Amino acid sequence: MDNIIFELNDVYFSYLGKFLALSGINLKVIQGQKIGIIGANGSGKSSFLQILNGLIFADSGKVNFCGQELNEKIFRENKFSQDFRRRVGFVFQNPDVQLFCPTVKDDIVFGPLQLGFEKSQIEKRLEKIVVTLGIQELLNRCPYQLSIGEKRKVAIASTLIIEPEILILDEPTAGLDPLTTRQIIDLLIKANADGKTIITATHDLHIVEEIADVVYVFNHEKKVAKFGHAEDILNDLELLKANNLVHIHSHKHKAMAHVHPHVHLDHHTEEN
Amino acid sequence: MGNSNFIQRSIIQALTFLKDSVFSQEYAICPGFLQSLDPRIKVITFLVFVMQVLFTRSIQVLISLYVLCLLLALISKINLRFFLIRTLVFIPLFSLFIAVPAIFSFFSPGEALISWGILGLKFTITRQGLAGALFFVMRVLVSVSLIVLLNITTKHFELLKVLRIFRIPQVFVMTLGMCYRYIYLFVGIIQNTYLAIKSRVGILVHYKSGQNIVAWSIVSLWNRSVLLNEEVYRAMLSRGYQGEALAWDDFKIKTKDWFWLLLVVIFNFGTFLFIAK
Repeated sequence: MDNIIFELNDVYFSYLGKFLALSGINLKVIQGQKIGIIGANGSGKSSFLQILNGLIFADSGKVNFCGQELNEKIFRENKFSQDFRRRVGFVFQNPDVQLFCPTVKDDIVFGPLQLGFEKSQIEKRLEKIVVTLGIQELLNRCPYQLSIGEKRKVAIASTLIIEPEILILDEPTAGLDPLTTRQIIDLLIKANADGKTIITATHDLHIVEEIADVVYVFNHEKKVAKFGHAEDILNDLELLKANNLVHIHSHKHKAMAHVHPHVHLDHHTEEN
Repeated sequence: MGNSNFIQRSIIQALTFLKDSVFSQEYAICPGFLQSLDPRIKVITFLVFVMQVLFTRSIQVLISLYVLCLLLALISKINLRFFLIRTLVFIPLFSLFIAVPAIFSFFSPGEALISWGILGLKFTITRQGLAGALFFVMRVLVSVSLIVLLNITTKHFELLKVLRIFRIPQVFVMTLGMCYRYIYLFVGIIQNTYLAIKSRVGILVHYKSGQNIVAWSIVSLWNRSVLLNEEVYRAMLSRGYQGEALAWDDFKIKTKDWFWLLLVVIFNFGTFLFIAK
């Protein structure tokens, strides 16, 4: 039987009780899956991820984590809260939000320290994660001195050092150069191969197939417009167009201009 | 027009000063004697020096401490010109208004050195007044030099961490650290906001519009900081924060630190003996 990590039933959420962010969301996340969340700006992706991470709570409907309902009351229980934070890691969309300590090193070790890891264990993990992400040189730097790519890597390191079973990422490749984007995708693929469940919200359709087996499309009504295998979703151009995820424009290939919906998926390889 | 330039100048100069004074770590990261000391030992010994400056009544002790300051600056590879400018800027600020009146006979009666009269008032500079004022200025000069030296040779986050040895609760230290970290972000926002305004309305703005723009910028910055505050708190929660932050402590006291501490004790003991004589 599949091991269900998250199960959402008819979840509604609004900010200040009047700005709707999620409307009737139903969703299941199974252990070891790679889930992609795509949708235009303001479709509720970030709110959805924060609900999964127990940072905000549904106005109505149920959010279950491993069979246990997530609500404010349960997070007041120290044991549950610590266990949940050890198991579920979250990388925020804006790395400046996540890097609040005076140095990179302080930021990376913040999570394990709060979660009561042994100092020797933290040192070992720190050594490993900085080598994996190639950020050894940044440890004593201040977060404000870093480039956006470096900040994002440090933000990911500060979550990965906890070694969570479930990794939630909000736009992890936004604003990054191609090489850094590739490094982060490879890292996510490896983490998934190691058994971690990965849930990623993104606008980059060309990375979706690699980082998601199942894709959920959020629409402007803050609902799930469709979900399914990444390939099926990415081939549904009408769905993508209706949700502002592709656009039609003219551009050049080998000195020949042409017009087509712009998704940057497989059409380039066919033309080559 | 003049007012608009005033706003422009004020914003640019305030931001430049903030960046230069708060974020300059040029000397803190270069290899030198003071930079190599354990920040805890360094802070304690500098506090001892400052206490000595405050309580001593001997000008010789003050002069020897100032010479020591300059020597420490030299062996810590600090440009002496930079160091002197940085310290001397503060001297008039802290001492001028107190020291100048003290040289006159109204406040310090005694042996007259020079006298002159203006509008029937007789001004007399006394030997005791001049000596007192010089002693006061010297005291300020040495204190400021010590603090500037400590500040420029220590990384700011290390200074914050050192606060913990004085039993200051971690929550205060952390809040200070976060303020420091996010000032830079807000400086960037202010700069970009100013450039965005300039690109749309030009440099010449009527002073009333200028006031409105500044007021709206302050409101916008306030709103952003409130939002950021909420998000940062969530980011802390998501990594296990439960109201009491724990921090990493990797300071290590080396032989060099003990040696420096011993030297400071000997220096203090020596000056004590000198004064007692």
